[in-house]
Amino acid sequence: METAAFADTFDAWTDSALEWLGDNGEFLFDLVRTMLEGFHEGILWLLALPPFYVVAIVLAVAGWRLVGAWFGALTGTALVICALMGLWPETMSTLALVMTATSLALLVGLPIGVAAGFLPALDRLLEPALDLIQTLPPYIYLLPAIALLGYGPATALIATFVVAMPPAIRLTSLGIRMTPHEFIELGHAIGTTKWQMFFKIRLPFAMPSIMAGINQSLMMAFGMVVIAGIVGSGGLGETIYGAIRTLDIAKSIDAAIAIVVLTMVLDRITQSAARFGKGGTP
Amino acid sequence: MASIDTNEVLIDCQAVWKIFGDKAPAAMEAVAKRGLTKKQILQDYNCVVGVSDASLQVHRGEIFCIMGLSGSGKSTLIRLLNRLIAPSFGKVLVKGRDLSALDATELRQMRAQNIGMVFQSVALLPHRTVLENAAFGLEVQGIAKAERNRTAQAALEKVGLGDWLNRYPAELSGGMQQRVGLARAIASDPEIILMDEPFSALDPLIRRQLQDEFRQLTKELGKSAVFITHDLDEAIRIGDRIAIMKDGVIIQVGTAEEIVLNPADQYVADFVAGISRLHLIKAHSVMVPVADYQRQHPGGDIGTLARTTPEADIDELIGLTMQSDRDAIAVLDSGTVIGVVTARSLLAGVKGTTIGEQPAAA
Repeated sequence: METAAFADTFDAWTDSALEWLGDNGEFLFDLVRTMLEGFHEGILWLLALPPFYVVAIVLAVAGWRLVGAWFGALTGTALVICALMGLWPETMSTLALVMTATSLALLVGLPIGVAAGFLPALDRLLEPALDLIQTLPPYIYLLPAIALLGYGPATALIATFVVAMPPAIRLTSLGIRMTPHEFIELGHAIGTTKWQMFFKIRLPFAMPSIMAGINQSLMMAFGMVVIAGIVGSGGLGETIYGAIRTLDIAKSIDAAIAIVVLTMVLDRITQSAARFGKGGTP
Repeated sequence: MASIDTNEVLIDCQAVWKIFGDKAPAAMEAVAKRGLTKKQILQDYNCVVGVSDASLQVHRGEIFCIMGLSGSGKSTLIRLLNRLIAPSFGKVLVKGRDLSALDATELRQMRAQNIGMVFQSVALLPHRTVLENAAFGLEVQGIAKAERNRTAQAALEKVGLGDWLNRYPAELSGGMQQRVGLARAIASDPEIILMDEPFSALDPLIRRQLQDEFRQLTKELGKSAVFITHDLDEAIRIGDRIAIMKDGVIIQVGTAEEIVLNPADQYVADFVAGISRLHLIKAHSVMVPVADYQRQHPGGDIGTLARTTPEADIDELIGLTMQSDRDAIAVLDSGTVIGVVTARSLLAGVKGTTIGEQPAAA
């Protein structure tokens, strides 16, 4: 009896807190919403500007140069198939969402990661917070976001941003901390300033780890963007959600294929970029 | 190079201690006041003594070797010389300036311009070419790209890597990588080069080649070097003077000849026991006074003996003795005979003793 009462009180608090935030922060949340949607629409506009074959050719060439001829050809074909399935606008919309959310996640995550790499105390503080973010089911982030920002891409962006950030922080911090001791010693012995030590020694050694973090952030974003179809993200996520509600299995498989194509293309391309970040001979 | 003042002290290390551990300051105080031993410090303070009361002076143009086995504190000692490690007690003066009195910028300049360092692990940046690695020290000093590349290229040519400028470190053999490390150190034209066991990981043949090249190059450029090694042969081959370290203490400092002839204790004696004397011991150490020779060989005419210099080593002396029909060689210094090397004194030298120490008529 008493436990139920306690849970009721707790829930009442949470609700009123959210309500208070919604009422008092309305101006702020509207601003965030407008900015996020503006950012997203800008990228979407850019992606929708050229006809589908131009985008397909650009990505195919990127795949060819960074991964290999086979992968380039595969990328081009797979993207043309997406267009032939009639899912091109949705595919580009999803790509725009992922790119927006990931760039925001990196914009915030990379500097925090660098700071955590230098400050073990900050790292110890962040560790449980990141664990929490990564253990909670990703749906959880949709609810408060929808309460504050309403139905639409802005909510999807915020939730995706939250999910995509932890790997960038973790792997950047790890990369910064993993600079081999002898190179730190070299930096001191040769007379580097603190900035030179960071940019010329620590960062190059951290680059592969940071690139892996960026790649992981991107993958997390792809996963979340589909789930965010529920809150009206637009794009393939919403197509799949709609197909599930109407039990249109064929359509959901089409959209799933498009998601897989997009994920694989970006995954392989960023992974190769990570290898380039490592330097050395090809 | 012609006008090197070899009396000028470049590095002056004065009674330096380094104690590692959380309670290092307290342990240091206890050492200063009560003279605790290494073992007591470990027991009472849980601190490890890295270097204990080390004093040494490195002169301009000199190659100074520090020889010791692993754990003897030699790597700690060399890092005290450019303050990669700050001493617990004592002073290190480089070019007359106390390193502990320098602020961060001055210390950085001192390291960048006056003290080069070469590491056992080489520490070449893997994402940079050979040329970019050699130019790294100059880059850090803010020297324009064209100029630093020119200087770095010249340094690489000096170590025989002029054709490898645009390769990456991973494409080079261990010996070549270590040459790049040396080129990086000399590119900044420092007066002092600190060498932290640079050749230890190389195979014996390459190692000897690099030892000779290093010595030649250092002398040619008129640099001073502090060279750390665990190999006495290497120390003898390279060093003008050698310091022998054990358990953080410098046991003996001297030329190879002095150390082999007069080891300070049993530890050093055991170390030098296996060392070939042929190239170490010189005529001036094994010769007997002219008067002694004449007393033993009445009628022996010194003027007709084969002649040599005080710096001739035993190998040369044996060669001269074999060629000559007499069994003695006159040692001349600026025209005067200052002693005579006899077959007897030569044999004593091969054994690593001097004739004076031999029982007179055993």
